[in-house]
Amino acid sequence: MSFRQFAFGLTASFGIAWLAVVIVPFFMMRHLKPVEFKEAADGKEGIYFPKSAGRVTNGAEVYAANGCAHCHSQLIRPVYAGNDLGRPDWAGLKNDEERGDTRRQSNIFDYQGEKFAQIGLSRLGPDLSNVGRRVEKIYCKDGGDPKSWLLSHLYNPRANPKLVTSKCPSFPFFFETKEIEGQVPANAITVKDGEAVVPGPEALVLVDYLLSLKRDDAVPASMNHLPPVPKGAPKPAAPAAAAPQG
Amino acid sequence: MSPATSQTPVNDALRRAEIDLSLRHPVMFFFTSGAAWLAVAILLGIVASAKTHSPDFLTGWSWLTYGRVQSAHMNALVYGWACQAAFGALIWLMARLSRQECRAAGIILVAGHVWNLAISLGLIAILAGGGTGMPWMEFPAFAWVPMLLSYAAIAIWSMVQFKVRPAGHVFISQWYILAALIWFPWVFASAHLLIHAFAGNPVMAAAINAWYRSAMLLLFFVPTGIAAAYYLIPKVTGRPVYSYSLSALGFWSLAIIAPWAGMQKLAGAPIPNFLPYLGAAATILFAVPCIAVGVNLLKTAAGAPETVANSPSLHFTIMGVFGLLILGAASVFLNNPAILPGTQFSMANYGFDILGVYGFFSFIAFGVIYFVVPRITRREWLSSRLIKMHFFLSLYGVALVVIVALFGGAMQGIGLEDYKMPAEDASMRAYPYAVATTLAWCFLLFSNVFFFFHLTLMWLRLGRRSSHPTLLGVHHADDLHDAAHGPEGDIDNGGPGTVHPDSHAHSH
Repeated sequence: MSFRQFAFGLTASFGIAWLAVVIVPFFMMRHLKPVEFKEAADGKEGIYFPKSAGRVTNGAEVYAANGCAHCHSQLIRPVYAGNDLGRPDWAGLKNDEERGDTRRQSNIFDYQGEKFAQIGLSRLGPDLSNVGRRVEKIYCKDGGDPKSWLLSHLYNPRANPKLVTSKCPSFPFFFETKEIEGQVPANAITVKDGEAVVPGPEALVLVDYLLSLKRDDAVPASMNHLPPVPKGAPKPAAPAAAAPQG
Repeated sequence: MSPATSQTPVNDALRRAEIDLSLRHPVMFFFTSGAAWLAVAILLGIVASAKTHSPDFLTGWSWLTYGRVQSAHMNALVYGWACQAAFGALIWLMARLSRQECRAAGIILVAGHVWNLAISLGLIAILAGGGTGMPWMEFPAFAWVPMLLSYAAIAIWSMVQFKVRPAGHVFISQWYILAALIWFPWVFASAHLLIHAFAGNPVMAAAINAWYRSAMLLLFFVPTGIAAAYYLIPKVTGRPVYSYSLSALGFWSLAIIAPWAGMQKLAGAPIPNFLPYLGAAATILFAVPCIAVGVNLLKTAAGAPETVANSPSLHFTIMGVFGLLILGAASVFLNNPAILPGTQFSMANYGFDILGVYGFFSFIAFGVIYFVVPRITRREWLSSRLIKMHFFLSLYGVALVVIVALFGGAMQGIGLEDYKMPAEDASMRAYPYAVATTLAWCFLLFSNVFFFFHLTLMWLRLGRRSSHPTLLGVHHADDLHDAAHGPEGDIDNGGPGTVHPDSHAHSH
């Protein structure tokens, strides 16, 4: 084997794979084609407009910089790749009051507006694809403000009696403790001994981002590979339902 | 090979002494600063691991929050320790195998400082809350260009040395060194460019990141480690490599398979379906080069069991080769379709990374360090007891990390896939293994204290002035000294040529 052959073999073996799995997919996925609803499968015609709810960018940066992805994924895998769709509150809601079963797998439009999809490394904590929906519809279903629920959670996850075993870090450094002079600040999350804990800018943008994570809007069936529905069972997703508010 | 006239043993010894002398400062710099980063990485690893089971440990400081410390831990381990150990090994091996002195020690040394500065600033930025959140690429965008440039200034000389070497045989190690030298900048530059400089799809950016992590391990640390093992084992045992066809199979199967691996970490994500499938298939097939290389090297070493038992560098190198075989087995186990859904988002991935970077690569890097440092400092290691402590504690520590993370990851995965039970069950299943991981990192810290202490003494030039290498065996028979370093491996610590005072230093 001459050096020329060696160099050629090395370049070819790496280059082909590099083009096939990195370069070509990267440039092909820079511009996505819109996906259409089809009458037969979805019960309606038209283009699917992905919704993004709320301000994402700054909060996504805080999420990334603090390594949330070490313990939280943001990926609902289709059934061939995992059982995420089976959980009652990860992929959407199993029993949404208005829309029925809203669970669906992640799609390419779910990560719009982010620089890097935080797919996640491990699931020491739950998947966050729909944490915004979950906080609003489940954790705050008996009243309560979703925003303050999340702020208190970030301040100390274990203060919640339902989450005493949580291993989530607390982020006291995203909050300021202020002495109360006169009125208690309206945005205080706890008040103790004449001191109020108020959220700082990072906590606020992070909560905005987390509340924007509602990836359960109705999508064209061509993007959603749900298992075949057994006869007589309720339809898995209500395709004609109103788009989620948020 | 060079003409027979310059091939006398004396001239050979002089040539090697000159090469070692020319590389003394850069190689020592990479090994010592790498070791310092290893210490940082282990301390960060202990803190991070402790936080996964005791979340209120050191909770008040923003720079010590779990997500930042864990990122800093991996980056210090990969870029601080492993990359620098690899640079030191690569430039030394290439110079020796090409029989060329290093003529750019100053430039390499400057580049090494730039590399260290870039990763120090990057690490501070991660801890200060400026990380990018892309695994293994958490350094802010300012760091990667200086890292790539300093890499180029370190590596280019090895390519030149290969080019101007005496014509003839190309050693197996040189295949792997050349491949690692070419693959690293290709992988590093394309991943960073595509993610930082081009606006692309965010999910594809995550996929390229997954490919990058896999490629760093499989296309840089694996070939570097294998190159060193193909040098050390035949050299120290004085035996030829067992099979040339197995060597070729191991090399070309790695070159063809490994570049496809990595994107199985995004199985089920909305990227073209063939990417994760190819990634899983390639990672499973990675077992082929592991077995070919592992069998070839172990067969080579098996012919000289006494030498293996006595040589510190072979202790570590052989254990690294076993690590490679286990890495191959783990890639089959973790990526087959029955297991992958469970382990995709479990601590098993961390276990796999540590197995690759520590269980395989670092062991071989320690083997290189125990072999090279006496040659470039012209001093022998002080104590076989320190080396033994380092070896056994490292072995137990890394075995604990890997077994715990792989098995714990499988247990966690069972909990994660059991969708009828609450998600908290999965994290409760992971809890005991997280505690064990912390203990294992403490073990590794303890083991490396012996290494750091010993290396510092060598760096201070306090090693033994002796031509008798430090051996591990109980019977220090005189005839073993030569055997343990191989026929070409003796060191004349009095200076070049002192063994044969009548030789002519200027004869070539």
